[in-house]
Amino acid sequence: MTPAKPEFLKNPATQDPAARKEPVISHRPQKTGASHSWEKPPAPVPPPHLQEYEAIVGKAMLDELHVLAREVKGKTVKMVNSTAVGGGVAEMLIRLVPLLAELGIDTHWDVIKGEADFFAVTKSFHNALQGGDYKLTREAEETFLAYNDRNRRAMSFTEDLIVIHDPQPAALVRARSESPSRWVWRCHIDLSNPNPQVWEFLKQFVEQYDAAIFSSQSFSRQLPIPQYLFYPCIDPLSEKNKPLTDSEVQKVCDEFGVDRSRPIVTQVSRFDRAKDPVGVIQAFKLARKHEDCQLLLVGGGATDDPEGAAVLKEVQEAAANDPDIIILDLPPWCNHEVNALQRASTMIVQKSTKEGFGLTVTEALWKEKPTVASAVGGIPNQIIDKMTGMLVHSVEGCASQIRYLLAHPDFAAQLGKNGHEHVKENFLMTTDLRRWLLLLRILTGNS
Amino acid sequence: MTATAEVAGLRTQTKAFYFNSSAHLLRITAFKADTLNEFLADLKACPEDSIFQHTFRTLQEHHFIREGFSNDFAQWILTDCNQPALAEQLASVDVRDFTSIRDLREQFVELVGEHLESYPADADQPARKTFYFCASDIVVIPTKFVARTLAEFAHGLKSVSIHSIHHHFIEARLRLQLLSNDFSEWLRQGLGLEDAAHAINQIDIYSVTLEDVRRQIILILEREGRESRS
Repeated sequence: MTPAKPEFLKNPATQDPAARKEPVISHRPQKTGASHSWEKPPAPVPPPHLQEYEAIVGKAMLDELHVLAREVKGKTVKMVNSTAVGGGVAEMLIRLVPLLAELGIDTHWDVIKGEADFFAVTKSFHNALQGGDYKLTREAEETFLAYNDRNRRAMSFTEDLIVIHDPQPAALVRARSESPSRWVWRCHIDLSNPNPQVWEFLKQFVEQYDAAIFSSQSFSRQLPIPQYLFYPCIDPLSEKNKPLTDSEVQKVCDEFGVDRSRPIVTQVSRFDRAKDPVGVIQAFKLARKHEDCQLLLVGGGATDDPEGAAVLKEVQEAAANDPDIIILDLPPWCNHEVNALQRASTMIVQKSTKEGFGLTVTEALWKEKPTVASAVGGIPNQIIDKMTGMLVHSVEGCASQIRYLLAHPDFAAQLGKNGHEHVKENFLMTTDLRRWLLLLRILTGNS
Repeated sequence: MTATAEVAGLRTQTKAFYFNSSAHLLRITAFKADTLNEFLADLKACPEDSIFQHTFRTLQEHHFIREGFSNDFAQWILTDCNQPALAEQLASVDVRDFTSIRDLREQFVELVGEHLESYPADADQPARKTFYFCASDIVVIPTKFVARTLAEFAHGLKSVSIHSIHHHFIEARLRLQLLSNDFSEWLRQGLGLEDAAHAINQIDIYSVTLEDVRRQIILILEREGRESRS
């Protein structure tokens, strides 16, 4: 039996306003009396040991990692970034550093220190490097350099490989004349269309490194140093990606009133115009004319981001009176719930108009979900059209592919299987680990 | 019955077969193309590593695809240049027909050049997305598997990673400078198993996955084991 939809899931447009205790500002789940796992952050889980990945990638792959590591055993690495918690880089380092250590690579992780004025400048740089408007001032340059110098004086750089993540600490490379290390700049952001002033300023430091690493070919720049391609990756053992039992998936669906007896089309993304959630609703409505289905929009960020709240409002208006559209504005720690909802889905959509790499696509492919996604950012690296998913360029194209996959479940299942293998080969934490070992071997002379 | 059991007891080869694997680190080169004209110029000028990456190596990155994927050049020309006829021609280039990257490059240059001579208006049509020529830094990784008998060979085949299969079965012809592969050469030269060596070399890598390749080789070894005993 399908459980009744909890109050918080009902479309506000269909509710009796008089019955509401407060204005509905979103579909964010509200407390309904019973205790739910998503109401508070879960206790932190220690990162997995390397051996735990064997069940996923196989013994032979782990053996190869051990052989690669043996060649660079005893080498030391320092990772430097600007935050210890929150954000994709910190999440990646939390997993990567212990795995490298387990392989005998002594890896230190330092976080630079700065005050509000420094982070205001670096946030502006970050946005400008990703194409935003910005007028670089002398004062901003001086603030950036002053904090980098202060951190440089407080740190030591004696490891074999120094890896500086992102623009914030990029000027630490000025310490390299006193350091025997090899220096690498790992850029996690999209530099395909940077603000020229900010890029020119940053480039003088980037050119001093031994190599740079980018997340996509299109993010690379003309530089006199080697540029490597490290795709972002997902951890198959994380809360968001680890295998779940069907009863675990069902429990989450029951909590959120998701009906698994009918096809579910899902987009997981924060409420951001670049993710085009309204376009997803339009595509869904076109597809549903021909194939029965329901739409699940799983997002977050609408409560602490004014723009997110505005986008959520637009999404609610576009959803109007449609009982087949479920909108969930979840707290950021709901990785288990997102995992379950992705696994409960018949297919995943990612109809972004602008995208970084698109890790939600990686997550969907890993879960063997047939995926329909826009050909933007790093998505074409993941979706090979009609082989590992379907690439689209418009609302109509998205609708057409949703229909097609719902009507051809065997083909959809094959896409899902191919997508899973693609992630296994190219976008898993273990692949990232292999890349770091190779880089260490190549740059420190043991290749 | 397992392949190991099937082929057990066959003659011993004095020269051991060492199963290796390889790992690659992708480099982004300075060559990139937004039109077919630029693509042709880059095809001629890019490092040999790039030709290797987008033909031989990409088969490993996409080892799970059974049909429709041949090389990165054909894929870009199909999806981003919307030139299906040229894409079909490039996709039909079989890396197994080449023992040198120079010859392989010439084949691609010839096909694209002929197309642009026939359809000059296509030359400067902007592609939907830029093609970035990449290359790889390669490290050969030894494995613990060594075979002196057919049984050990089958066991090794079943145990190594898919990267090892690619290393010995696909990349090998550039190393050997032969239209063959490491597996077939070992079976032929050491054990005189000409038929098995030939059958393995005939496996179509473009219509099966690399796991399928592994399974087919093991089936051939099982058959060889049965025939040798009968």
